[in-house]
Amino acid sequence: MKTTRRTFLKTAALGGTALVIGFDGRRLCAAGEASAARFQPNGWIRIDAQGGVTLTLGKSEMGQGVRTALPMILADELGADWLRVTVVQAMPGPDFKRLGTGGSGSVQGSWKPLREAGAAAREMLIRAAASRWQVDPSSCSAETGAVHHADSGRSLTFGDLVEEAAKLPIPSAPSLKEAKDFHLVGKRTSRIDGRDQVSGATKFGIDTRVPGMLYASIERPPVFGAKAKGWNEKAARRVRGVRTVVSVTSGVAVVGESTWSALKGRAALAVDWDETKAIRFDSDQHREKLETASRQRGIVLRSEKPASPTEAPARTLDATYFYPFYAHAPLETMNCTAAVQPNECELWAPTQDPNDLQRDAARLLGLALDKVKVHVTTIGGGFGRRLANDYAFEAIEVSRAVKAPVQVLWTRPDDTRHGHFQAASVHRLTGGLGADGKLVRWRHTKAGSLHNLGGVEKPPTPNDAPFYQGYAWGVYDLPYTVVDLEMAYVPVELPVPHGPWRAVFAPGSVFARESFIDELAHARSADPLAFRLDHLQDDAPFQAGDLTIDPRRLRRVLELVRDKSGWDWKQKLAPGNGRGVACNIYDAQTHIAYVVDVAVKDGDVQVKRVVAAVDCGLVINPVGVEQQIEGGVLWGLSSVLKGEITFRNGAAQQQNYGDFEVARMRDAPVIETHIVSSDAGRPFGLGEPPVPPIAPAIVNAIFAATGKRFRKLPIRPADFEA
Amino acid sequence: MSAIHLTVNGQPREVDVDEDTPLLWILRDSLGMTGTKFGCGVGVCGSCTVLENGQALRSCQLPAKEAVDRSFTTIEGLSPDASHPCQRAWLEEDVAQCGFCQPGMIMNACALLREHPDPSDEMIDAIMSDAVCRCGTYPRMRKAIHRAAAIMRQHAG
Repeated sequence: MKTTRRTFLKTAALGGTALVIGFDGRRLCAAGEASAARFQPNGWIRIDAQGGVTLTLGKSEMGQGVRTALPMILADELGADWLRVTVVQAMPGPDFKRLGTGGSGSVQGSWKPLREAGAAAREMLIRAAASRWQVDPSSCSAETGAVHHADSGRSLTFGDLVEEAAKLPIPSAPSLKEAKDFHLVGKRTSRIDGRDQVSGATKFGIDTRVPGMLYASIERPPVFGAKAKGWNEKAARRVRGVRTVVSVTSGVAVVGESTWSALKGRAALAVDWDETKAIRFDSDQHREKLETASRQRGIVLRSEKPASPTEAPARTLDATYFYPFYAHAPLETMNCTAAVQPNECELWAPTQDPNDLQRDAARLLGLALDKVKVHVTTIGGGFGRRLANDYAFEAIEVSRAVKAPVQVLWTRPDDTRHGHFQAASVHRLTGGLGADGKLVRWRHTKAGSLHNLGGVEKPPTPNDAPFYQGYAWGVYDLPYTVVDLEMAYVPVELPVPHGPWRAVFAPGSVFARESFIDELAHARSADPLAFRLDHLQDDAPFQAGDLTIDPRRLRRVLELVRDKSGWDWKQKLAPGNGRGVACNIYDAQTHIAYVVDVAVKDGDVQVKRVVAAVDCGLVINPVGVEQQIEGGVLWGLSSVLKGEITFRNGAAQQQNYGDFEVARMRDAPVIETHIVSSDAGRPFGLGEPPVPPIAPAIVNAIFAATGKRFRKLPIRPADFEA
Repeated sequence: MSAIHLTVNGQPREVDVDEDTPLLWILRDSLGMTGTKFGCGVGVCGSCTVLENGQALRSCQLPAKEAVDRSFTTIEGLSPDASHPCQRAWLEEDVAQCGFCQPGMIMNACALLREHPDPSDEMIDAIMSDAVCRCGTYPRMRKAIHRAAAIMRQHAG
């Protein structure tokens, strides 16, 4: 999501004496200058007469820590008492038009507007105090919820000052703190809602309870494209507690007085499916299709040739990599509670995209936008899955039919088999080494699929490079210096639902790229970490599409991970043990390098230790940084060593955590995170960036341990015998 | 189907459900206690874990007819103020990310520490691997379990 760099501020008195400032990341505006109708802030801060600070926040909390990191930014700039800060979830509406959460954008997009709003409020409070004391405002400061006058030792709490402060004009250009004065930003900070989390008090979507509500479970097609043509409604209704059966777009819903009655009723339905229009998708056939496609020239994404012809590489390597289908598998399955009435609709949805939900629900029901209320609940894992709102429309359909509030809850097999999948891709790479061992030629062709949620996007012109770059993160933005390079993309149609998954298009590409760099280093018996550094020698940032790549920053994280991990390529490790490295620049912003230690015995891979070095710009909360690195490592580890989704005859073959396995406690390595002190001056995202480089680091470590090069994920114990 | 008596967090409760209704849905739908989570429905993810006599039990796998006259502790009953050693350790180690699996994880950890007051990493891995976290909080959870063990020992001493 793009955020322009202007801030829109306004005061208003909401609910008693208070200082209220709104901001939307666009305009800076004094009170009264803008009409209320035109004012559409993306967040509110409210300081009440008791000194409490409330931040109304338009970002969904799904584990990434925005409900802690964003108020930290505000509280620091404002000089608030952290213990008096509370967070309220915004609802989409005229005040909140852009609430989407994704693309690792929350902290970097909110950094400036939150600071400007905090600084404006701070200046107003200081001016109010200075005027009461008849002193120069510049002799006052704001700290821990009060304004202080050092010379006289006087203090007034924010609560004492809000009434006067609220009458002052909003400063048009409030001066922001200097980094050296931050007292919260950069400090280890525990989650603002930690106690609720460990007490079972956090309310996720699934925990929504509304008076008179019913519960629904939907029997879904056994194969993609099948339609229900008949079912045993009587049998379902005979189940105690079942109220009714409703045909909905996605299948047949059984509505009951409890979740259990709905599930039992659903089991009794015995739906007869019309499979004449079934999509008999098969993932093995699709993989062959991708491999064939990867041998085409494709749409050129980036091409650079040496000015004068150079001699042919002394040695050329080719390799083809396969990155499979995965499900998101968040612990909280898809769900939504809807209360549809003739003239209005209320939704409780664990969604990453509440504005689109509000708009589409209004359209579906023929209601005005303001008649659809969307409560964004805490989310039990998003990972991109909840950028789609399919589960919410099901709840709307059922609630409309039964004229009562209804919670639609997906079972785990529903969630595993009917999500939008991470789409498989094949990567064909060719590398040429010069006589001096330097990488002189690079070819990378990705055969993959454009997302198909709500239709496949069309390029503005055929072979439009910028358009296809958008689907080829990690392919065209090669950070290494190579004189002769060409990257290309081949779109391959994919009929099953597929969409964003944590780190979206990067994981498959970076797995291939960073594995292949390792292969090239080994081909010339070079230290793979030093080989990477040797090819990050450009001292100036360069352009790859619309991204500005800064190899120096990547070099810095590689050097840090080398030093912190005790990397020594010549060191002999115990048999079955190996060490691997990989790195990546995510979206030209966040730089991460990993060194991974593995032990392999009888095909069982144990990732023992992961050392991470990260440059994510200015750090708001080091605890949050560590958690995101740890989360990304475990996510990527699952993708290498655990479950994949396969399709046969039009159906996903996996159902639950038993056959779509994810990492568990016994799989978890020791993880050390080292943060590069950054001169970027602003924060970058970290929800997605830790994912792409971990898979190749593990695969490279396995190669070092066993001499086996895996070019297809996930890796199974039996694969070691092949 | 009939009225079923059971005890939850020390309170006698009576619910009217089918005898095959899993304890999980009695807690969540009949009693409105939503701290115990649904994750898989087949006993492989641990989100629904509750305690009985200090032992971990998958509430999605226990039908009402077998829950009769038994006594269970849920996350809501662990402490009134997040002061249980596991809860304290979880907060001190900053374990939770999304937090959805954490009530179940904490209940599993309580049962583990009852059996093994000073568990090794191997023991923690063996027992806690029956539960799933998708955010990747395992390394912190491992530390938190050691810390909770230390807090419990202090109390005992």
